[in-house]
Amino acid sequence: MLTANHSNQMAVLTVHVGASVTCLPFGRGRSVREILDLFGPRVRAACGGIGACGACVVRVLRGEVNPLMPAERLRLDSAAQARGERLACQLRLLGDLAIRIDHPPPPSVWTTIPMEDLCPVSSEQPAAIRYKYGLAVDLGTTHIRLSLWDCGSRQRMATRRGPNPQGVFGADVLSRLDAARIHAAELARLVRDALIDALRDMLARELGKVTPLLADVGRVMIVGNTAMLTLLTGAGYDTLIDPAYWQQPISCQPPDWQAWQQAWGLPNAEIVLPAPVAGFIGSDLVADLIATDLVEGPPGSMLLDLGTNVELALWTGQRVLVTSTPGGPAFEGVGIRHGMPVQIGAIYRVHGIDAAFSCEVIGGVAPQGFCGSGLLDGIARLLENGALKPSGRFTVPPGTEGYRLDPDNPRTAITGHDVDAFQRAKAATAAAMGTLLAVAGLEWSDLQRLCICGSFGHHLDLSLAQSVGLLPPLALSRMELMTNAALSGCEQALLDGAGMARFARLTHLMAPVNLSMRGRYDDDYLDHLRLKPISLSQNQTIK
Amino acid sequence: MLDDIIQSYNEAVFETDRMAALNVVDRALAQGVTAEEVVFKVVIPAIETMMSLIASDPDANLAQHFMTSQIAVEVTEKMLPKFRNSPEVVGRVVIGTAHGDLHSLGKRIVMGCLKAMMVEVVDLGVNVSAEHFIDEAVRLDAQVIGISAMMVHTAMGEEGCRKVRARLQERGLTDRIKLVVGGAPYRFDPNLYQAVGADAWAEDGINAAKVIIELIREVKRHDTP
Repeated sequence: MLTANHSNQMAVLTVHVGASVTCLPFGRGRSVREILDLFGPRVRAACGGIGACGACVVRVLRGEVNPLMPAERLRLDSAAQARGERLACQLRLLGDLAIRIDHPPPPSVWTTIPMEDLCPVSSEQPAAIRYKYGLAVDLGTTHIRLSLWDCGSRQRMATRRGPNPQGVFGADVLSRLDAARIHAAELARLVRDALIDALRDMLARELGKVTPLLADVGRVMIVGNTAMLTLLTGAGYDTLIDPAYWQQPISCQPPDWQAWQQAWGLPNAEIVLPAPVAGFIGSDLVADLIATDLVEGPPGSMLLDLGTNVELALWTGQRVLVTSTPGGPAFEGVGIRHGMPVQIGAIYRVHGIDAAFSCEVIGGVAPQGFCGSGLLDGIARLLENGALKPSGRFTVPPGTEGYRLDPDNPRTAITGHDVDAFQRAKAATAAAMGTLLAVAGLEWSDLQRLCICGSFGHHLDLSLAQSVGLLPPLALSRMELMTNAALSGCEQALLDGAGMARFARLTHLMAPVNLSMRGRYDDDYLDHLRLKPISLSQNQTIK
Repeated sequence: MLDDIIQSYNEAVFETDRMAALNVVDRALAQGVTAEEVVFKVVIPAIETMMSLIASDPDANLAQHFMTSQIAVEVTEKMLPKFRNSPEVVGRVVIGTAHGDLHSLGKRIVMGCLKAMMVEVVDLGVNVSAEHFIDEAVRLDAQVIGISAMMVHTAMGEEGCRKVRARLQERGLTDRIKLVVGGAPYRFDPNLYQAVGADAWAEDGINAAKVIIELIREVKRHDTP
């Protein structure tokens, strides 16, 4: 039997907008606005959720609610109160609750990043920026993540996560670069518009004003993979598909800062793009290193950023060996029959109970598909109970529709092609790790610390990742999971007067390793295709 | 006895269980099966069976295809030094990835299948220029140049196969050296190989080896009127 995970702490918020209905299971005690900002249809908003603007009006249809708050008595007249109107930011989820949004805002692609996915930033250092606000940006191939900071008080004012609009030109880096040969200006415009749109959205919804505040933005810091940075600035993208440049530094500086300031309406913003390390190593990996303090740790510390493009760094004590490998989008739930991003309805964990499976689903609703961690768990559990063999074949071929974890729900099926895509992604990752270790003259067992960042987030089950051979079988105490590391590193550098110097110092330590120039990488890749734990002695036995 | 060995070997390969396959081979040798028999009666038929199975099986996957070829290569490489007479070599191929392309895996698999089928292969590596392909083919007296290209722009671009074809024509080598391509873009567009001037293409390692052997024979027929 497949069970949606419904703990006692959960309650369902049902939201009616026009004719559409959305059910959002969520922990009790959170404000309705907070929940809607994370996942749901939005309410109007023009303050940071303190009841000051009175814009987030919703109508309670049924359910248990907290009593009217003082701010609501100020903002809602007696007629409104009699209609059951409340302010979403003051209304808390105590039990199942149904509301209607009578005047929804225009739809938006931006959602708030959950607090638990963010790293705290120390409040000790002095402000580094003359103006009040700073913006940190992690420009990813698939997603863009941003956070707006009050630099004086070192407070995070707001966060946003949304799709990279260049996705219409192809899911992976290569097809984007290919498209740039004809549509470079359009690609650059799309992503620049998206960044300023996200900033304006944060200002409007959290601070209630936009234009006057834009002049208070003193710094915009953007990190990303090299391809995304060149597509943002419109410079250098044409050199990236030529291997001659893969290990070279690539300039990603825009030709004219003032034109950007003008176009964005940010007259006082210093726009900062830390330089990427090489053609295939972006500044996002440097930001990862800042967030994890990798070079402060013992030699033999490795960082793994899992995504469509897997990036790795290994601290040897003297230098940081860095590389990347195209794992494929399986880790992000893309290219998978029932794959989906980490959002409501995604299976993110699978448990095995005898011959049956139980799935944990984001939001606790009926499963609609798998995000990366759910796919990994599903494959590991199928392997565990013998339905799947280490070769990646099913014991009994389930046909093209795949093997259903829940016999009654076709959206819980994993197909042979899904397993294949996962095998190739995990083999590329493990082979890259092994090759980096070999270049450093290290064994798997020399790994002292392994930081895992990227698309799996905190949902990754380390033991299962070990059982299928994605991660080495080290003591779990040596492994750390971190979500949004690149954004965190960017935030730290944004708030630090010496932030650019930190980027420069780390970049200077980095030695790019081109895996395709390492003969053993292909052998390792083939060896790691099987679904089985990595053998800790494996590294030394392969020529 | 050989039938048992063939069956156990096929099972091991089908499960992509490299250790089990190697154990079967060791057992066969211990029982007096010759290295030649292992290669010609066990390994090559097994890889052919696997490829046709994989081609017709909706559940088959790329990972399995790769692992199968790897096992065949490993066994063949172990057997070759044990051959009583040095095997008769079919011909010689130079192989590399196209200019601008660093994807070496496809090339590696084709090389393995060629070796298993007694074709000499010289690996020119990755990101190989048109001139280097031809200079090496001439120097080594190879009958075939194999170019692997995994990206659309390296498969179709001016610096890859097209340039090799142009140089072959300029130097009057078109009858002496044949040109074969492989890689994902040629699979997506089965006519692309002609557009870029190749003599043939193949979609997997074993078929590449077969196509290349055909072309080697064609060149040799032409050489000995």
